Amino acid sequence: MFHWIWKSLFKQPGSLTGSALGIAFAFILVIFFDAVWQGESEQIIAYPDNVKPDIWVMQSGVSNMHMASSFVWDWKADKIARIPGVKQVTPILYLNNVITAGETKMFAFIVGLLPDAQRAGPWSMSAGRQIKNSGEAVIPDILSNLTGVNIGDQLSITDKTFTVVGLSSGTYSSANAVLFVPFNDLEDILSSTGTYSYLLVDVDDGINAKTLAEQIRYEVDKVNVLLHDEFIRNDFSLARQMGVEVIIIMTVICSVLAALIVAFTSYSLVMSKRQEIVIIKALGAKNRSIFFSVIFQSGLVTMFGFILAVVFAIFIIPSIPMLVPQLTLIVSMSSLLQLGVIAFVVAILGALLPTHLVLRLDPAAAFHV
Amino acid sequence: MMIKLALRQAQLDPLRILLTALAVGGVIAVILVLEGFEQGQYYQLEQIVLNRKADLIATQSGVTNFIAVRSSIPQFSRAEVESVNGVINAHPVTAVPIIYTKNNVRTPVYVLVYDVKGGPSSIIHGHAIKNGNDIVIDNSLAVKYNIQPGDSFYVTDFEFKVSGITEEAAFMMPFAFINYDGMLDLFIESEIAPDLSTFPLLSYMLIELEPTADRDRVAQQIEATVPTVDVVTPKQLAENDVNMGKVFYGPIMGLLVTIAYIIGMLVVGLIMYSDIRSRLHNFSVLKALGFPFLKLFITVLLQSLLLLLIAIPFGILLALGIAAFIESGSPVYLIRIFDPAIFLQTLMASFVFALIGALIPLHVIFRSDPMMAFQRT
Repeated sequence: MFHWIWKSLFKQPGSLTGSALGIAFAFILVIFFDAVWQGESEQIIAYPDNVKPDIWVMQSGVSNMHMASSFVWDWKADKIARIPGVKQVTPILYLNNVITAGETKMFAFIVGLLPDAQRAGPWSMSAGRQIKNSGEAVIPDILSNLTGVNIGDQLSITDKTFTVVGLSSGTYSSANAVLFVPFNDLEDILSSTGTYSYLLVDVDDGINAKTLAEQIRYEVDKVNVLLHDEFIRNDFSLARQMGVEVIIIMTVICSVLAALIVAFTSYSLVMSKRQEIVIIKALGAKNRSIFFSVIFQSGLVTMFGFILAVVFAIFIIPSIPMLVPQLTLIVSMSSLLQLGVIAFVVAILGALLPTHLVLRLDPAAAFHV
Repeated sequence: MMIKLALRQAQLDPLRILLTALAVGGVIAVILVLEGFEQGQYYQLEQIVLNRKADLIATQSGVTNFIAVRSSIPQFSRAEVESVNGVINAHPVTAVPIIYTKNNVRTPVYVLVYDVKGGPSSIIHGHAIKNGNDIVIDNSLAVKYNIQPGDSFYVTDFEFKVSGITEEAAFMMPFAFINYDGMLDLFIESEIAPDLSTFPLLSYMLIELEPTADRDRVAQQIEATVPTVDVVTPKQLAENDVNMGKVFYGPIMGLLVTIAYIIGMLVVGLIMYSDIRSRLHNFSVLKALGFPFLKLFITVLLQSLLLLLIAIPFGILLALGIAAFIESGSPVYLIRIFDPAIFLQTLMASFVFALIGALIPLHVIFRSDPMMAFQRT
């Protein structure tokens, strides 16, 4: 039976290819959805993940950076800097806002850097230089490509205009392009004085960051103190949460679609081989072996579709950002494994209707003329 | 004749037609949901501004958006705006973005502080704000955290009481509404900000005009009199937000919809291919009877369109079901299936993929041998 199924499938390579492609694209849609969210979520945390202090200090009640706002008195930074074991404290000012670059208005994360900041700035420059003077800005290189705003050009944040002096890499995502401007300029935009948003605390060698974080929490009122890993986890989970329901729903829809394609292919094959199946039944083949043969057939078609989708995910999806640079796509092995399980369920579901039909076929029909 | 042939062919195997309609309908539903999701985002961005019901809106000078932006207007500007001829009132509104956390689940929430105008556009459960401790939250927050009217709603350490549930969300963010007493209590009691001047106490002004006032002229006059503000119509502000949304969603959704269209084309192509393969003998007979290739192609095309006509109602029903499911589970999303332009565009595009799908099996017909008509099947 299995041999017959195998031969029948490959006798119609067009149907097999079409079905496998249909299933593959349904799975690709799922993989793509997940890759977009995974990529964007990871890119959203690119800034905190790359500046990577040992400890983050922020306003009480705030525990992440994405979509958050935080303000901490400047004297608290001085107080923390005096605690034994603290190597350095780097304050930043931070704002979520809409920027105008060329004709484009887009959401961005703006980081204000103090003139003597040793860290917290762009971690990789693709052109130009870091900010030195008031009115200067470093923008993501992808933002520059998309908007045509290059080094020497201007962009605006609310009513303040900045001249681009450098392009940073790894700082762009659709949800948040990270821009760097001088601290004083961002203070003007925020109409604030004497406050910072986040304090990036580095600890001395040999000092336990967790113990030091507890000490900061004890000594400084009304601040939240988090270790870097926890801060990143909070940010990442917030970013993922914002789209997770959509991913789940689209996974279900596309899986149902794939199951329908499998059902259609198996059904078509079973119907076209009805006469042969009836003869096999008349020759004494058991319903159970026919049942498993149909499952095997739908499993094969689904497996081909799944393999095509995985090949696409591994080899094609990583190249898509070359065409659409504003997208960050990350295909995770765990999502592919999950899809593998879904593909198995799809194969079973897709086989239900054809097996039902096969089991109802009357062996006596084999002797009809 | 060709139409009749296509119709008879469809009637031969109703189960096959049902499966086909479900598969093609499924593809149409995926496309409609994706397009509807995108349009829903734009609609929410637009409505969140229009629901504030202002004749004109004053923003901080240089600020051209309502959402995802920080606008801070000096408080004395309100009196200056109200002194301009034609202005009845400049109702203050303040936007305070927060991250709501409960049971370690975080959600960014856009809190709008209002005085008289600019509050929730509708209350679906409970009642409007009566005192400083009251808060009206979006239904998506109520569903996500299982919050009912009367429950506590903590922002940092400050306790609000949920007085009502509304339906206002945009940019994948639920909105919440409090009054100015609530905002001051929140700022002071929770020590949310070390320096109150850092937080904008006035973000926007919803300007109410005299019925006879010339809107454009008043807007110009306000900008001339109060240089710290820009004045725009709600429609302009909404349009700016929608355009920003398009920069954000456009590339992602465009790619997803393209993939969905490719799936649709492949599904129709696959169905037509396997159908023609199974009826190759019939096509050979028609060829032997002298039917030209063009007529056979038209038959395939008609059959493909017929499939689509059967599949479209399935697709629409399925899409509506999916949309209702998403909106009930996650009310922060709005799926606008029947956005007129997009709905028609999707249906038209479906016809195009049905047409392309019908082209896939053409080579099989072209290569079918009329001699096969005289062979036994």
